Amino acid sequence: MLRRLATGLVVLWAAATAAYLALLAAPGDTVDSIIGDGADTPLIRAQIVREWNLDRPAVIQYVDYLWRAAQGDLGRSYLLQRPVRDVIADQIGPTLTLAVTAAVLGILLALVLAVTTRRPWARRVSSTAELVLVSTPSFLIGIVLLSVFSFRLGWFPVSGDQGVAALVLPALTLALPVAGVLTQVLRDGIDRALDEPFVVTARARGLGERAVLVRHALRHALLPVITLIGWLFGILLGGAVIIETVFGRPGLGQVTLQAVTSEDLPVVLAVVVFSAFVYVVINTAADLAYLVIDPRLRRS
Amino acid sequence: MRRRSLLIAAVATALVAGCSGSGGTDSAAAGEPVSGGALTWGIETEPITLNPHQYAQAKARLLVWNNFESLLTHDDKGGYVPWLASGYEASADGLTYTVKLRTGVTFSDGTTFDAAAVKANIDQLLADGYAPAVAAVQLKNLKSVDVVDASTVKYNLTRPDVLILDFLSSPQGAIVSPKSLKEAKNLKAGGTDLAGTGPFVLDRYTPGQEIHYKKNPGYRDRPAYLDEVTYRFLKESSVRVGALTSGQVQVIEGVPATDQAQITGNPSLTLSKGLNSGSAYSYYFNVTHAPFDDIKVRQAFRDALDVDTVLKGVYRGTATRAWSVIGPTSPLYDKSLEGTYGGNAERANATLDAAGWNTRDADGYRVKDGKRLTVRLVQSAPFVRDRREILAQAVQAAVKQSAGIDLQVSVVDQGTATAALEKGEYEVFDNSRADTDAGAALNLLLASNGAINRLGVQDKGIDGLLDKGQAAQDATSRAAVYRDLQQKVIADDSLILPLYAPADQIAASKKVGGLQFEPTAGVPGSAYTVWLSK
Repeated sequence: MLRRLATGLVVLWAAATAAYLALLAAPGDTVDSIIGDGADTPLIRAQIVREWNLDRPAVIQYVDYLWRAAQGDLGRSYLLQRPVRDVIADQIGPTLTLAVTAAVLGILLALVLAVTTRRPWARRVSSTAELVLVSTPSFLIGIVLLSVFSFRLGWFPVSGDQGVAALVLPALTLALPVAGVLTQVLRDGIDRALDEPFVVTARARGLGERAVLVRHALRHALLPVITLIGWLFGILLGGAVIIETVFGRPGLGQVTLQAVTSEDLPVVLAVVVFSAFVYVVINTAADLAYLVIDPRLRRS
Repeated sequence: MRRRSLLIAAVATALVAGCSGSGGTDSAAAGEPVSGGALTWGIETEPITLNPHQYAQAKARLLVWNNFESLLTHDDKGGYVPWLASGYEASADGLTYTVKLRTGVTFSDGTTFDAAAVKANIDQLLADGYAPAVAAVQLKNLKSVDVVDASTVKYNLTRPDVLILDFLSSPQGAIVSPKSLKEAKNLKAGGTDLAGTGPFVLDRYTPGQEIHYKKNPGYRDRPAYLDEVTYRFLKESSVRVGALTSGQVQVIEGVPATDQAQITGNPSLTLSKGLNSGSAYSYYFNVTHAPFDDIKVRQAFRDALDVDTVLKGVYRGTATRAWSVIGPTSPLYDKSLEGTYGGNAERANATLDAAGWNTRDADGYRVKDGKRLTVRLVQSAPFVRDRREILAQAVQAAVKQSAGIDLQVSVVDQGTATAALEKGEYEVFDNSRADTDAGAALNLLLASNGAINRLGVQDKGIDGLLDKGQAAQDATSRAAVYRDLQQKVIADDSLILPLYAPADQIAASKKVGGLQFEPTAGVPGSAYTVWLSK
């Protein structure tokens, strides 16, 4: 456990450092990005440098950043002029709600589809749909869903973080491609499991086809899906950037987009570290989930 | 000292912020103004800051005047009318401006508005690190501010500068409660803890989602018609239009050419357009090195391009062509420039031949001394709007076809763009400024030491005209100075290729009345004049 914790901390530090170096290597300096396309004179530059202590060597600024971050002080946003902690804290909730809902929806959809579409024709229809969903940009899915269910039918509101109704369309937009990939993986896993000798044994015991499918084959097919959870998280966070913009939802995605395009270093670093943190947590959870699903792994 | 009184008046604020003539939109269907109701307005841009002193986005201007006011405001003829002031006088030498303040005005936090409050705002603006761009540009010529008595403030300048009036009418010149200036948690970010004197009070801000104002019951004048107004941030234009057509919002701003047919084809909606103030969207030629150090090449580039055709292709006939660097709605605009240049491929080719670019390479581009006639335009992605990257591609194709000029367009991140500008690795710079007074924009763009002088031009003649324009108190003589200036930079020196006049659009349900564009600025106005018919 202690080792896991130490590894986690190293991952966080490495993520922060990599992001720091990347922003340092990016063209233009911090003063440029604060000035943006506004007026640019030596006097203005001098004031910005003084305000943010930018005249110190990069190494000192980096060490100072790490030292403060270790004490929980993430600094102040260059662009928004608010403490990074406030900027992020406001936005984590809506994004997590969206991501978790989408993940649950995507996984449920995948489970149902993989188990119910076993007949050849249903299978063909379903896999075509999956392929289309996976290859369609989520931006387009979002606009289509909005035009039909919000603009035309008026079932759901277009925007904002206002209760369950406003969550449906964005969560669905994010869940559909996820469900597409997961269904394919699951179906493939079930196919392979059904070829295994233990299925013959189960059938010989007089188990019905449904029970064989759900109790035995599905369990085997779940392992690769668990491995995909880390990937899933990446998709959800990345997708949130687009979904939140299209649907006018608050969230980390919009904050990240704005921070990256304006090189708002303190916010970018905080988002990177937060993402790395969630990634570590999710992968640890996935490792534990293996043990629950596959008894063979428990002994080692 | 002879004093010339420019304006001492108590023009009703309703007239000032309200129905001043040409700015209105078609709201006949909404009938007479009625009070009450809640309006939802879909807007494109989420403000970076809610502190008016820090204001830097023209697209956020429609929010500022809901809860803040400044001492003066613009009328629709390029003049100024009192707002929080009751009148002002300029001294004959143009070095002192005495402003009389309204009495009996309170901020929404209960603080009294008086001369000390005005002084506190100026002190704050000049504080180190608070608003460097305001201090270095708008208040450049301000020496000191004196509190004469509780309702009189005197601005002392180091040199004559009529643009101080533009500052007094600008969002940066808005008066924030001195109590807020001291106590606000994140002063530069602004928010609900910044109190103003406006007809609404900002009571809720959900980043990434919406901003909400409620009526200020203690407003000194006619209260706002609306009880509350919510601005939703909808960045995608198709989503804004969809939200409007499905009745989820009653007003939107920012309707690109591609979406306008959806509004105009709907009998229950209206669409109106306002041309922005400031400088037109233009290409500035970098004269510090080849090939644009040669005036012939600059002339040829302008002649090679048929601006009307390109605009029509990109904006489907919705764009207004610009002929000068100053926008066509400005009182300083020189109309005589119209139709005097451009769209003459034959002349462009002859000029380039004469300038020594008389051979062509295998790709059809012109060459001189083994070097291709290549010019680079670097656009910073976060600031590209109005499909300007598409426009650039259209220009690229046009100048290649008509004159063999190789325009290379790159859309890059802001850091890369700034680095390219600083190293001079560009030949074309594109820009439009939304300053309410075009003179303020030209000071930045054309002066030798201008903060956005990407032309690289160092010209005593231009500097002299800018100084004269800044000191001219009389509107007629001021317009004459800027006419000379436009003749010089557009007609004589071919420094600039003006393309189009930036505009804003408002689309709304016919139930909404009183929507208007702000006089002079030409951007959507605040919600003060807006009502919702039952």
